[in-house]
Amino acid sequence: MAEQMESIGKECTPLKHEFDACFTRWYSERFLHGDKSNDCEKIFKAYQACLKNVLREKGLTKMISDARPSIGSVFTDDNDDAGDK
Amino acid sequence: MRLFEATHVFKHDWETVSLASWRKYPNENTPHVRHVEVLNQEVDPETGVLRTERLIMVQQGVPALVRKLFGGDASYVLEYSEVDPRQRTLVMQSQNMTYSNLLSVGEHIVYKPHPENPQHTAFTQSAELKASGALFRLATKIEDICWNRFNDNAQIGRLGLEQVLSKILAERQALTQVPQ
Repeated sequence: MAEQMESIGKECTPLKHEFDACFTRWYSERFLHGDKSNDCEKIFKAYQACLKNVLREKGLTKMISDARPSIGSVFTDDNDDAGDK
Repeated sequence: MRLFEATHVFKHDWETVSLASWRKYPNENTPHVRHVEVLNQEVDPETGVLRTERLIMVQQGVPALVRKLFGGDASYVLEYSEVDPRQRTLVMQSQNMTYSNLLSVGEHIVYKPHPENPQHTAFTQSAELKASGALFRLATKIEDICWNRFNDNAQIGRLGLEQVLSKILAERQALTQVPQ
């Protein structure tokens, strides 16, 4: 696979790489062929959880939720609250 | 306010171009794109539409004027996209977050099959660049600088995508040469 980018949070980089590889494979082999089954759910949750901490530490969380209406994003901060305490 | 518009035809089918779009970074043509993170992603169970939210961190040299006013050259962009595999459309909307009170750049991109040739893909890009009135006389100059930079980035962005498309094509050709 081609070189990859580091994550915004260094500690999340391995998870990001694993997710990116999984997603690319899933997208071309499944999604584009009409298969909606989610192969990458587990690795995505791990990557996403790592990112959430980094975003919080960097103070980016509010900036992101403020920007959502301008791009029509359907996501909210509550989307991924499963692991949040 | 300034508007930017561009169109392009990629001589590959929509599925391949949409895949290339996901595989676009890192790209030697666009070193200013430093980080791309997927914040949220889901597939609609009924429509099959893939919705994704990404955080993009960009860092590139800017004229001294801009750096002086804005205090830096690194910025965060939020991008939301929807891929409809049945309709064969990929639509993306992005907005800068950093300094957005001073300079707002909103970009809309659509990839879909070319109306005259479904084996090719039509790309349309439009952007609104608006500098805050609080910048007074500088607002127009800032918008001009921004428009030029946006135009430069749009061209290298397309070049970068064409390179990824060539790479995907080469990968597929290599696969067909593997003896079964």
